Parts: sequence; structure tokens; C-alpha cells
Amino acid sequence: MTETMESKSRRMASLRKKRYRAERRFRRLGFAAVSVGLIFLTVLFGVVLISGFGAFKQTFIQLDIAVLQGSDNYQGMVKQALRDIFPEVKSRRHKRQLYALVSSGATYQLNARIEAEPDLSGKKISAWFPASDDVDMVIKGRIARDGPAELRRVTDQQLRWIERLENEGRIRTQFNWAFFTSGDSREPELAGIAVATLGTLLSLLVCLVLSFPLGVLTAVYLEEFAPRGRWTEFIEVNINNLAAVPSIVFGLLGLAVFLNVFNLPRSAPLVGGMVLALMTLPTIIIAGRVALNGVPPSVREAALAIGASPLQAVFHHVLPLAMPGVLTGTIIGTARALGESAPLLMIGMVAFVVDLPSTILSPATALPVQVFLWADSPERAFEERTAAAILVLLLLTILMNLAAVLLRKKYEIRW
Amino acid sequence: MLKNYRVLATLAAVAAVANVTVAGTAEARDQIRIVGSSTVYPFATVVAERFGRNTPYKTPVVESTGSGGGLKLFCAGVGERYPDIANASRRIKASEIKRCAQNGITDIIEVKVGYDGIVLANSRKAPLFDLSLRSIFLGLAKNVPAGDGTTKPNPYKTWNDVDASLPASRIEVLGPPPTSGTRDAFVELAMEGGCKTFNWIKAMKKKSKRAYKALCHTIREDGAFVEAGENDNLIVQKLGANPKALGIFGYSFLDQNTDRVQGSIINNRKPSFENIADGKYPVSRPLFLYVKKDHINLIPGIKGFLAEFTSNKAWGEDGYLVDKGLITMSSEERAIWNRKVKSLASVSM
Amino acid sequence: MSLCNEPPQLGGVDLGRRPMRSTPLRRVIAGRLVMGVLIACSTVAVLTTIGIVLSLVFESIQFFQIVPVSDFLFGMHWSPQTAIRTDQVGSSGAFGVIPLLAGTLLISAIALTVSGPVGLYAAIYLVEYARPSFRAVIKPLLEVLAGIPTVVYGFFAALFVAPLLRHGGETIGLDVSSESALAAGLVMGVMTIPFVSSITDDAITAVPSTLKEGALAMGATRSEMIRQVVLPAALPGIAGGMLLAVSRVIGETMIVVMAAGLTANLTLNPLEAVTTVTVQIVTMLTGDQQFDSAKTLSAFALGLLLFMVTLVLNVIAQRIVKKYREQYD
Repeated sequence: MTETMESKSRRMASLRKKRYRAERRFRRLGFAAVSVGLIFLTVLFGVVLISGFGAFKQTFIQLDIAVLQGSDNYQGMVKQALRDIFPEVKSRRHKRQLYALVSSGATYQLNARIEAEPDLSGKKISAWFPASDDVDMVIKGRIARDGPAELRRVTDQQLRWIERLENEGRIRTQFNWAFFTSGDSREPELAGIAVATLGTLLSLLVCLVLSFPLGVLTAVYLEEFAPRGRWTEFIEVNINNLAAVPSIVFGLLGLAVFLNVFNLPRSAPLVGGMVLALMTLPTIIIAGRVALNGVPPSVREAALAIGASPLQAVFHHVLPLAMPGVLTGTIIGTARALGESAPLLMIGMVAFVVDLPSTILSPATALPVQVFLWADSPERAFEERTAAAILVLLLLTILMNLAAVLLRKKYEIRW
Repeated sequence: MLKNYRVLATLAAVAAVANVTVAGTAEARDQIRIVGSSTVYPFATVVAERFGRNTPYKTPVVESTGSGGGLKLFCAGVGERYPDIANASRRIKASEIKRCAQNGITDIIEVKVGYDGIVLANSRKAPLFDLSLRSIFLGLAKNVPAGDGTTKPNPYKTWNDVDASLPASRIEVLGPPPTSGTRDAFVELAMEGGCKTFNWIKAMKKKSKRAYKALCHTIREDGAFVEAGENDNLIVQKLGANPKALGIFGYSFLDQNTDRVQGSIINNRKPSFENIADGKYPVSRPLFLYVKKDHINLIPGIKGFLAEFTSNKAWGEDGYLVDKGLITMSSEERAIWNRKVKSLASVSM
Repeated sequence: MSLCNEPPQLGGVDLGRRPMRSTPLRRVIAGRLVMGVLIACSTVAVLTTIGIVLSLVFESIQFFQIVPVSDFLFGMHWSPQTAIRTDQVGSSGAFGVIPLLAGTLLISAIALTVSGPVGLYAAIYLVEYARPSFRAVIKPLLEVLAGIPTVVYGFFAALFVAPLLRHGGETIGLDVSSESALAAGLVMGVMTIPFVSSITDDAITAVPSTLKEGALAMGATRSEMIRQVVLPAALPGIAGGMLLAVSRVIGETMIVVMAAGLTANLTLNPLEAVTTVTVQIVTMLTGDQQFDSAKTLSAFALGLLLFMVTLVLNVIAQRIVKKYREQYD
């Protein structure tokens, strides 16, 4: 009250300093929060990348195969080719170990090639065949060459053969196309993610086709038209609750309703997509409502004032303006659906499927489920394939996000 | 003006298309469908893959659902909608056969596939354990004998409390949950095996089977036994990260990870292929396939699949299933089961 | 599904053909049709809920015939060590759900203490402080966190975070379980950062700029403006985001399966192993036991319980949101 001007200004100055300090602190906290998320993301990607990168390369062994005329004993031809390289191998035990160097897929590849080119019959061909997973692991250094033999899956004898093959230039690594073009296999060197990827894409397609229109329309209804009352409140409670229902329960629902009541086939991307759609729905609705709510009332009022019907006001003006927010919700929902495995477990998508699905009703699996299955496989070589499948899954997620971000960026409005 | 309504119409049309596709029913199934145990899964899938590649039939679809869930699906009915084969890491139960019969499945062909060894392993960074069934029981049971014919809650904290020859590390065992067949087999074979080395407990079996089993089959719950889920690979990796712990898992995972983990010796036997196959290693259990006889004429290829599974190049001593970690039966036992499969004899209990 | 799909086809096509400059009557009919479609769509959620309840309730009733409801709800001990086969006699098996709920709550609390503040501050920074170019890159990057499959998080938690915490604990003399609630909670918290930040972002953006400018014109610093003007106005939206995060955490399965283990401990110590309701559901349903045993059936009872709990939580939460919304509308 009797404060002098000077002391007052000093007090204000110190207060101002304090306020600016608080301001800086606040800003730094914000930055720290962003960094925490990014650091975690980097570490996670780093770990996955390091452990999964190897799977994109595959070791191949060159064999000179004498194609016997009129014979379909392709396995015999492959074995003969191996014996030709190592004529000194005589004992049954050693022969078994020798044959184990080449993947069992070599037989099928040879078969396919000779069927495609019948004139090879009777000739000697030189071709590259996938090495077995153990050889692959040795070449990539994931099975140590030194150390006592009982600690590795590869015998000393096999190691010597591998070294000889290397010296003769019969071993090379090349890009692993099979990983992208083939279905699941119990031989890691032949296993691929084609079925899982296609299954995931089909499921997501079904999921989006169902959940996006349903979600947007429900959000529009609840936010713009629904009369405030018991029924509306009931629906709202339902939706919020569904967002919290664990995904496995949606799987139970899918099992009970889609499989047992509607008699839809097990392991089908259609059922997977439907379950995922129900799961994604609440996310889209909630985000959609937030976005619609964020459009200023003035837009609505302006439209109504120039004679638009309430429907026109919403569909022509409010909804387009709210689309960026709706898309955010859809991204989050779909991203979740993409990575979801628990509900798929209940509807039979945790399966070993080799043949590509031809329709949304044929058996398929999904990428996260494939990760789950491979993670539980005993073979060492599946470790890096698991990580590689994760990488593909992450890549898909990022692509989806990127597409949506570009979309949203084009339309984002800040009031 | 019209644009937004068109968007709405498109959305609706797309939704309708999805609906139409739902209506189109699945055509006749030409692919074998197998469900069941996650333990048999790695073996059934190898056979399925080879079968698919070597024959004109499509590759069977194999689902990993757990034995119970698999048998439930299997027993749900006859027809294309239901699976043809169920894998199980235990024998089918009388109640399940009854359930099958209620749904019209009267003829079930049983195929014993081989054995799965259950190992107790730890990281190579730690000393190898040389256990007896008795010390496994004393280390892991909820109640242990107190010395005078009574029991007390398990007081042991470290392994050398149990047996002075064992390392002084804390008892920490990562193992499967009570819902798992692996756990079941471990409890019956290892725990009960050690339990009945006490004569008075063995005598108790005659008096009160219930009390006997309650004592022998109950695993401690004070944190020394950690239920670590069914993913055996994860247990192997956790053991690598935590050298003080032991883990319980299937032999095939030990076989693939010999550079990381070592299987403890149990009753003087290493968990090796030979020891498990000839039954000297005490903790192993049989694996089964159950086939719906009515489906043999319904779905093409079932007979061929069975023939592939029971051929010598699959389950024989040098077969590819052995490479995947299956412990095969003796040649006599294989011959018996081969005959059963050939004659398509139904299971009886 | 079909309930909703039939009408929009009719309504949508109908509207598409006729220009809106038609007679008022047609316009009214079209309006009614569209409204019908909208209402039909909004009932899908209700149908889903009914479906869920129906698919859970029958098995739950069977379960409660074996285990009394009171034992289930108020039992302090969860130990389903019952026999897998009928010829076995295991221990009696206890189905008290309290330890599972406690474990779920503990992990959720840890997750929220991570994702709540981090998500909130990250959103504030991105909206109010960051340069647009920075925001354009970083926001989608953060959103990737929500898209990473939970299986991946599970492995990361189990094989990277948990051993790290264990070693860290050992160096400062703490006994950290290899499957601690902390590891699962932390990773789950990180996973839900985008849930909080994305929705908070939208809610903050939606606050009218006049409010913000007004505060700044009065001489408030940016942080004061945010804390005293923006946040209160955006609260319903933020609460919605937090709710999404909570629901995601409670329902999350794979991470806890891999990192938190299955041991039902009644504890509040984040360094110990706990289990959650979802983990038990998965374990019970994918096990090798007979399918109509008490163990399997308990999964359905747990599902139903989880469903009820989230229902109650949501009703309460929605009331709160509503109260704020009325204040700032």
C-alpha cells in the first residue's frame, strides 16, 4: 500500500524473472517429453534392425547337378551332386551330415526348374540352392565357428566342408526373395511372409471398409443429431466401454458370433477383419466426435443461416472440416488393428498356412501372428526372421502413418 | 453440392459389397485342417509341409490352439466346418470322447507320434546342475516333509539348502503355468517321482490318494517358481539374461540352443536324445494325433497325410522329425502304431 | 452388421441420384432416411456389447456353478492348480480375483504415470512451442509408437527393459524380479504416449484461438496461457485421451504375458512380479486342459468381470467429462 515505485518494480522484475524461468522450465519439460518418446522409438528400432537385418540375405550353395533322363528322383540328384564335391565321404553318418548342408527346399526347386525346362534332361547344370538354416547361421556368424563342438549345432566335420565350399567359391549370400514370396515353412531358409502379409492386408481392407463408414456416421449422429437422452447416453457409454474391452474378448465374440452363429470359416481374413472392425470402431467414433466437436459452432451456424438443412450443414461443412481429426482416429485404430494378435488367436488365425489366400474366405494368417508363431519356433534361424517380420510390420505401420499424415497435412486447420 | 452425398453413397455401397461377400458360402474344402497342441505343432507342420510339396494335395492348415481347445473344436461335429485332425500333448480324456460321441463322432483314430522330453536347464554361464528327482521335489514343492511324518511349508531358499552338493544359488525356476500340458507332465513325472522317494509318502498313496497327490503335485507359490508362459524361446532368452535361474521347457528348444543353455542332469541322466528315447531320462511324455474317421472319405488326402506322418522318413530314427527335435518311439512301438493306423482302428478307453 | 448395411445402400444411392434442389417433401424424406442410417450405425456398438455379454455369460454361469461368486469376487488367492485330467488330483485350486485386479491396477498406474505427463507435455510442446516443420516430422513419429505391435513391445520389455531394471536394481542393492510389474508398466506407458498426446493435441488445437490470444494480450506467458486457459478448456478432450490410454492398458495382453509373468501376487511393490486379468484369460484359453474345466471357464468369468469393471469406470468417467463439457461449451 505504501510501497514505493522502486520496490514495486523490483518485485515485479523478480516476479517476471520467476515467470520466465517457469516458462523455460515448462518448455524444456515439453521438449523432454517429446525426446523420451523418440529415444524409446530409436532404441526399439535399433534393436529390431540389428537383430533382423540378416534375414534379408540368404546363403546359397552352388551344386553341379547331373539331371538323369526320365528320373524324378530329384532328391537323389541333389545328394549325388554333394557326393561329387566330397567324394571322400563314405560313412552313413557323415553322408547324413553332408546332405544336411543343403536345404530340403533344393529338391523342390530342382523339380520346378526341370519341369519348366524339360530340355535340361540328361544334361549337367550348375545352379545355386539355398543352404540349410544351420549353414546360413554359420555364414552370418550367428553360430560361432570356434569353441567346443558340443556347443553348436554344426559339427567340426560340417564346418570343414563349409570352409571348403567357401574356398571353392560355391557359397554366396544374396538377397532373400523367398522371404517375401513364400508362405510359412518349418525350414527357416524357405519360410516367408507372403501369406501373412496378404492375410493382414485383406483383413485390414475388410476392417476399414466396415469400420470407417460405420465409425464416421456414428460419430456424426452422436455429435450432431442425437437428442440428449437416455438412449444416446446408453450408446455413448457402450462405445466408451467397447474402447476399453480387451482385444481378446473381441476374439471371443468373433468365435461365438461369426464362427458359431454365422458359420463363417475359421482362419479367414474376412472374420479377422470383422473382429478388427468392431475393435477399431470405438476409436474412430471417439476421435471423430472430438474432431467434430472442435469445429467452431460458427461454421454450422453460417451454413444454417444461408438456408442449408442441418444434414447439409454437417455433411457439407462440418464433416469435411473435421476430417483431419477423424483420420487421426482412423490411423490409430488401424495401426492397432494391424499389430493385433490376441483376437486373431481365438478365430483360428494362429495357423501354419503355406498356400497364398485367394479370397477373403481362404485360410490365412496375419503378420503379428506370424511373428508370434516364429518367436515360438525352436530353430535359431527363426530369431532373425522374427525380427525381420517385425521390421516389415513396422514398415507397413510407418507407410500407413505417412500416407495419413500427408492427407491430414493437406487439410489441417487450426482455429 | 452432390459430392458429399456421393461420398456417403460410396461408403454405403462398399459396406454392401462386404456384406455380399459374407453371403457367398465357402466352396467344398479340399484342404486338411489340423488343430491342437502347441507342442505337437512344430512336428505336425513339418509333415504338413512335406505332404503339401510331395503330393498333389494342398498343404494342410495347422492351427496352434492348445490341446484342450483343439479337442473341443475337433469334437464339435462331423463335416467340412470342423477340423479333421487334433494334436494333443496328452491322451484324449473319456469325457472328451463322450463329447465327441454326442456330436456324432464315434470313430476316432489315435496315433502316438513320439515323445517330448522336458528339461530343466540353465544358462551356460552358470554351473551345471546335477539334480535328483528328490531335490527337484524338495526345491519346488509347496509343502515338504518335516521329518516326522508331517509336512511344513517349503523353507528352502537356495539349492544347497536342499542338497549340499548343489550350487548355493537362489531357487528360481521359470516354468509353464498350470494350464499347460508341459507343466502337467513335469509335475507328474518329476515332482511326484521325487515325492515318492520318501517311503512314508509312498505309503500314503494307498491310504489317501488325494492327500498324496495334493502333497506331490502342488508347486510352491512364494516366488521361487515363476510361471513364465508357454513361449519356450522366451524362457531360453530369459535364462540367458538371468544366469541364476533354471527353466523348464521342451527338449527341442534345448537341442536348438545348446550354445546358450545346458540341460541339468536328472537322476544321473543327461537330457540327450538317446536317454529320452530309451526312457532312461525320467521326464518325458507322449504326443498324440487324433483323426476323425468319418472325414477320411470327406476331405481328400487324410490317408496320405497319415501315411507320411508314420513313414520311416518322417518318424523313423533318421527321419526329418528327429531333426526337428521329436523323440521317436522304438521300432517295435512304431510298428504297433503303424499297424493301428493302417487298419484305421478307433480309440477305445 | 447387416442391420446397418442395408439401409445406407438405399438411402445413399437414393440421395446420390436426386439433386438437393428437389421438393421440400423429398428433402424431408431423404433427411429421414439419412437419419435412419445414422441411428442404425450407432446401434452397432450396442449390438456388439450385447454380443459380447451373450458370448461371455453362459460359460460364466457354468463357472459360477463350480466356484461361488463370492469366492471369485472377494477371494484373496488366485491359484488355479487344479488337475488337468479327471484322474489326477491336484490341489483344490483357488479362484480369488483380487490379486489379479491388484496386479492390473498396479501396472496401469505405472503406465499412466509415464504416458500421462509425457503425452500431455509432448502434445503441448508440439502444438504451442514447436516449429511447424518440427511438428510435421515429430508428431507422426510419435504416433508410430502406438502402431508398434504389442508382441514387439512384449519382447522388448521382456528381453531389454526387464533385464536392464534387474541389473540396475542389483547395482543399487534392490531385488528386482525378472518379471517385474515395473518393466511391463513402463513399456506400456511408452506405448500409450501417442494415445494421450494425439487426442490432447486435437483437444488443444480445438480451443478457440480467441481465448489464447486474449490470455496472451493480458500479458500471460505462454506457459501461463496454456496452464490457465488452454488446459481447462481442453480438459474434456484430454480426459477422453487419458481414458483411451487407460482402457488400452487395462486390456493390453501381450506385453504383460511376456514381461509381467503369470504369478498372482497380492502386492503394491512394482519390483515384484504380478499378473493381470488379461494374461490369465489368454493362459486359461490356450492351455492344454479340458475345455469345460473350471480353469477354462474362469477365463469367461474374468472376461465378464473385466467388461463390468470397465463399464463402471466408463460411466463414472463420462459423468466427469460431461460436467466439464457443460462448463466450457
